[in-house]
Amino acid sequence: MRHLRDALRALATTLRNVFRPAVTVRFPAEIRQRPARYRTSFALLHDEHGEELCIGCLQCERICPSQVIAITQAPKRESKVTGKKRGYAEDFVLDTSACIFCELCVQVCPTDAIVMTREPDAPTFAREDLVLTMERLYANEKAKPPSWANGTRLMGMQEAPKEEKKPKEKAKAAAPAPEPAVQEAAK
Amino acid sequence: MSALWHGALYGVAIVSVMLAITAVGLWFERKFAARMQTRVGPSLVGPAGLLQPIADVVKLLQKEDIVPAQADRPLFDLAPVLAALCAIGVAAVLPLSPDVIAADLDVGLLYVLALGALTTIAIFLAGWASNNKFALLGGMRSIAQAISYEVPMVLAAMVPAILAGSLSISDIVRWQADHHMFALWPIVPGLPAFLLFFLALLAESNRIPFDIPEAESELVAGVTTEYTGMKFTLFYLAEYVHTLVGSAVASALFLGGWDGPVAPGLHWMVAKTLVLFAAVYWVRWSLLRFRSDQLLAMCWRWLVPLSVLLVLAAAVLVQLFPGVL
Repeated sequence: MRHLRDALRALATTLRNVFRPAVTVRFPAEIRQRPARYRTSFALLHDEHGEELCIGCLQCERICPSQVIAITQAPKRESKVTGKKRGYAEDFVLDTSACIFCELCVQVCPTDAIVMTREPDAPTFAREDLVLTMERLYANEKAKPPSWANGTRLMGMQEAPKEEKKPKEKAKAAAPAPEPAVQEAAK
Repeated sequence: MSALWHGALYGVAIVSVMLAITAVGLWFERKFAARMQTRVGPSLVGPAGLLQPIADVVKLLQKEDIVPAQADRPLFDLAPVLAALCAIGVAAVLPLSPDVIAADLDVGLLYVLALGALTTIAIFLAGWASNNKFALLGGMRSIAQAISYEVPMVLAAMVPAILAGSLSISDIVRWQADHHMFALWPIVPGLPAFLLFFLALLAESNRIPFDIPEAESELVAGVTTEYTGMKFTLFYLAEYVHTLVGSAVASALFLGGWDGPVAPGLHWMVAKTLVLFAAVYWVRWSLLRFRSDQLLAMCWRWLVPLSVLLVLAAAVLVQLFPGVL
């Protein structure tokens, strides 16, 4: 008897569902709002003078848990903009086919040179397309909108709360900078 | 000669109509299932996804035809054809309207039940010929299930036969058109017999909650495990046609078939069939699968005694209280 009652309840539930609107988001036609820190790919950035930010320090290569970053360092030379000596990367390859998108490389970057991008909608048809060469990384700077995080922002979230005179206000100061409002998904 | 023409014409008409309805039924099931799960369902191929079954079949036809090395080749090839034939063949004695019936057999009901039972042979052939443990287990479960559920199904089908005093399906429908449909009156053998027949129909066509011959979690795909391409399509087709034809038989036996006000008979027959067809899928997407022993216990301990009582009630009614009818 109990089984019969349960069967009838199951039938009633499914019948009710038939008249409910579908919850499906029809993906390519309709894109759900994505969080500000949604991240799918990488870009290397230039500074305001048009010089490469990456100094080839290998920090990202060393921290990468899946070891997908391979950097060839260039010898130090004088910057054309500031005139000071600094490092450069001769080659920078990031293989996203094994990337776990942990964003650690972004976090350790001392010059905020590498960021992750929000552009999601282009699956590739060849594995080679998943390997981001230096040209692709610099092309992504302009081609794809960046995610919220960069090295400075991420390290700022990790800092110990500043010592205040009144211990009561400690909690307020410790709160990390509020993230920006969720950006509308691209297009 | 004219009888041959008659048969050939009806054969072509029935087969093409059955296949067309099955295609729409496939689309309907996927849409219906999607709605029950608050999804959208097929929507990209054609308007509202209506061409999805055609895309499915084209995909299946393109598949490679794989035959296991140790398979019993003649039986392996025969089984899907036999399954599809048995399923479609039942349609021959269905009265679609007062005048449209391919073969008005005196023992139409017997023919329907016999052909329905023959499907089990095809399924077991497939299980045996595949030389695969899952397929064989599926075939054996199918036989166990069919033997059990054949009994209440036949007994439930006897109720309208006794009440109408005929084994001819068109006579049974005509009796209902003259009086009333059996599912409504006499309510005591009528309605329970209808429900019992519907339940046995689910078991006959291997639908949830009785789909243990092809329980995915235990037997991969049961008897169809080794089948690909066109042969698999035939099994798939047989299953859908079986459900469709079974719904038609149930609506003819218990719901009055083509009998109904205003609209022509064919419309009523199709409408009643489709309502039952939809009910099968409603049950399919709502309930869970029985265990094998639960299935058999329910059949032999409850359904068989109940169906015997119903047949007895129908006989008593006809003999002692003919005025009630």
